[in-house]
Amino acid sequence: MTLYADTQQVAGDFYTNNFAKTAREGSLILNLGPQHPSTHGVLRVIVEMDGEYILRAEPVLGYLHRMHEKMAEVKTAAQFIPNMGRVDYGHALGWNWAFVGAVEKMAGIEVPERAEYVRVITSELNRIASHLLWWGAYLLDLGAFTPIMYAFDDREKILDILQMPTGSRLTYSYFRIGGVAQDLSEDCIKSIRDFIPWMRSRLPMYKDLVSDNIILRKRIEGIGVIEPAQCRAYGATGPVCRGSGIGYDVRRATPYSVFPKLDFEVPTSDLKDARGRYDVRMIEIEQSMRIIEQCLEQMPEGDVLVKGAPKPSWKVPKGEAYFAVEGARGKIGVYVVSDGGKNIYRTKLRAPGFCNLSLFAEVSQGTILADAVAILGSLDLIIPEIDR
Amino acid sequence: MDALFQGLALDYLARCDEAKTGKAWQVFLPASTLVKAAERLLAADYHIEDILAVDCAEGFVVTYHFDHFDKPGRVAIRVLAPHEAPVVPSIAGLFGGAEWHERETRDFHGVVFEGNPNFIPLLIDPDMADCFPLRKDPKSRVKTRDLLEAGEVVYCNPTFTLMAPDAPAEGHVSGGAKTATA
Amino acid sequence: MPAELIRILIGLVAVALSVGLIGLVMVWVERKVAGHVQRRPGPYEVGPYGLLQPLADALKLVGKQLFMPDNADPILFWLAPVLSFLPVLLLFLPLPLGDELFALDINLGLLLILAFSGLAVLSLLLGGWASNNKYGLLGAARAVAQSVAYEIPLLLSVLAVCFVAGSLNLATVVKEQGTWPWNWNIMTQPLAFLIYIVSALGETNRAPFDLPEAESELTAGFHTEYSGMGFGLFFLAEYANMVVVCSVATVLFLGGWHGPVLPGPVWFVLKVSLLMLLLVFFRWTYPRVRFDQLLNINWKWLMPLAVANLMLTAFFVKLAQYTVVK
Repeated sequence: MTLYADTQQVAGDFYTNNFAKTAREGSLILNLGPQHPSTHGVLRVIVEMDGEYILRAEPVLGYLHRMHEKMAEVKTAAQFIPNMGRVDYGHALGWNWAFVGAVEKMAGIEVPERAEYVRVITSELNRIASHLLWWGAYLLDLGAFTPIMYAFDDREKILDILQMPTGSRLTYSYFRIGGVAQDLSEDCIKSIRDFIPWMRSRLPMYKDLVSDNIILRKRIEGIGVIEPAQCRAYGATGPVCRGSGIGYDVRRATPYSVFPKLDFEVPTSDLKDARGRYDVRMIEIEQSMRIIEQCLEQMPEGDVLVKGAPKPSWKVPKGEAYFAVEGARGKIGVYVVSDGGKNIYRTKLRAPGFCNLSLFAEVSQGTILADAVAILGSLDLIIPEIDR
Repeated sequence: MDALFQGLALDYLARCDEAKTGKAWQVFLPASTLVKAAERLLAADYHIEDILAVDCAEGFVVTYHFDHFDKPGRVAIRVLAPHEAPVVPSIAGLFGGAEWHERETRDFHGVVFEGNPNFIPLLIDPDMADCFPLRKDPKSRVKTRDLLEAGEVVYCNPTFTLMAPDAPAEGHVSGGAKTATA
Repeated sequence: MPAELIRILIGLVAVALSVGLIGLVMVWVERKVAGHVQRRPGPYEVGPYGLLQPLADALKLVGKQLFMPDNADPILFWLAPVLSFLPVLLLFLPLPLGDELFALDINLGLLLILAFSGLAVLSLLLGGWASNNKYGLLGAARAVAQSVAYEIPLLLSVLAVCFVAGSLNLATVVKEQGTWPWNWNIMTQPLAFLIYIVSALGETNRAPFDLPEAESELTAGFHTEYSGMGFGLFFLAEYANMVVVCSVATVLFLGGWHGPVLPGPVWFVLKVSLLMLLLVFFRWTYPRVRFDQLLNINWKWLMPLAVANLMLTAFFVKLAQYTVVK
């Protein structure tokens, strides 16, 4: 038999000690994570508990911090695009888009129309894949072991489709400054056209078996109520703010690319709880498919990369630009400041998950531990994007 | 925007080219006006997007981006914090989300936000929290006016020289009084 | 009574052997059913149809290093898995597998089973407490609250059946039922059957009531710190408990070893297997119920219904007695 020291008992680290300074008498301080089956990525939450109730929660970040913003200052603009795939592996194409969009805005580069459509199609497919991953993992947290298997079955199809133009399955670096790297082949378009009816046939099954299941409904209804004022104070966007009744979608508010020509709904829910956010994401899957269908119809022939697209050693001209896209988790923002030198002077990556998670401390007060897990899941967090 | 900040002591207010820079307005404030400006923005239903700092030759330009859910139009509030003593008041009391953004700016640049309720390192390990990775070598710092877009100036305080020196100091004052009340 | 003693001893040996076998079979069934429910094949490489997979699992568990956290109570820590396992052997003794085919003829058979199954929760509590781990402690606390709560509707629903049969002796209860399904107790006591199944899920910590070991919240709850055979014993005890609970359900509600054509023991095993399969299905289909909702279900729904069922049964039994006398 071997004895090993349980370090939790002996002394906490800097964050636990800081947290414990303001702890109440007789409360239990517990670390959820950083290794934990249901914190999505390497997230640590220190909770102060009274029995099963959470008195106070504090997320501790930094376990996945790789300092992408510094890398942006030593790499050229073209070299930085693969980094964007690693920031958020769930919706990598969204981050690709935010960065190249900011640089194109600054440099005044106009992207060919076909490239815009290709960007929309691939980005929306990525959004569906991200929502499926969220759905499966969320139900796994709640104790249902089966939906994740079905969700991953569908996701496999999307990953195979996206592998054709991009070459990657997860961390895409497909967009280029001035367009995309490669056009969609005939096979790819055919696969997309086959995928959409398949996915449409699966959604009713998910609704009947899972979304309408009484045990699930009891677990997520009334949990994690987020008021619109809180969304404003914390800058929460995406399904989090739409689940609280605020109909804000970057694709509609500050339209970019060809979204003004596309007809789609922005789902909102007045429930404000985890159920509202759940419903919003499930409807978004259907709306994304609608967008893809329209794009496939409207897409013109042409180039997918602008003539005279910047070479890898191209210097970003002087200026500054902030470009935001609607990612699966919310508003992805990239702010770029350049002085015309070899590298970009300052890049700021605005991650939607960062703002969404900052709500958690306030929302989880007074809830049960099981509910805290349900709330974390409903925020759809991807930790690499929060830590960058 | 000029109506929103009426009566506050501004240093610089400019309308920007939204298609090119992504923001509608750009405001430079002295640190003392920051909290009041944030109050006005909160009351007008703006939401906070992010807080960052840009290391320029004259100091850290701490930039706050706000946007609106119903009437989109990004506002960039900028405060200059000198290199030797970069202290800025915290707006975490008004915008709860600012707490984390401010902690991150402290991790990357070393800007101190007075009044932040939990001012410990957020992303960088506490053992090496004073390395401030995004601070630039003094030789490679660039002047603010060579970096940031000036925009169409609406008001510029005569003592404010950070942006283009040939900005019309008298300013096209559109309506409201611009005399500073600190 | 040497004959009685020999009977008990043979019974104990048979139970000890079969519990091991049940464990192996159940592991395979669970993983295969989980696989097929999730649209994948489950184990199929080790042996034909993956039948030798449980053996591989058992060998793996036995070969693992046994370690104990620092500051854990060594006696209680190692007592807990053993304690979870031992009472199970006793629980099988009064169960009648066929006509006159039981190890222990005792007119309080049901009471014996219910009393000793209460020891199971003690082992969970010891395991969680002795691990010196906050997650384990939370898991143990939940397990105790849950078990204590679900004992009551379990007892009440079972009592209703005993009122009808007039005895706590399991062999008698089975004899009172007939060969065909419409003669079984499930016809006269359907509500008690439902209450029993739900309470049994709560007692054995099976999904959707598996909070004490809620993986995604408590990182395995009360058995977080156990490895190798310690974990294996908990696992085995859980399956054995499941079998006991299903056997009791069979005996009380589904006619025990009665059935047309085939011999008694075969029917018994078939019925128990069917119920076990049902429990396995539940695990892989439903999400987990939250802890306070679990207790709500018990105190607000199951208990009042079980009490009402019992009173009604008592009323009808007395009524029958008087009409017969008349």
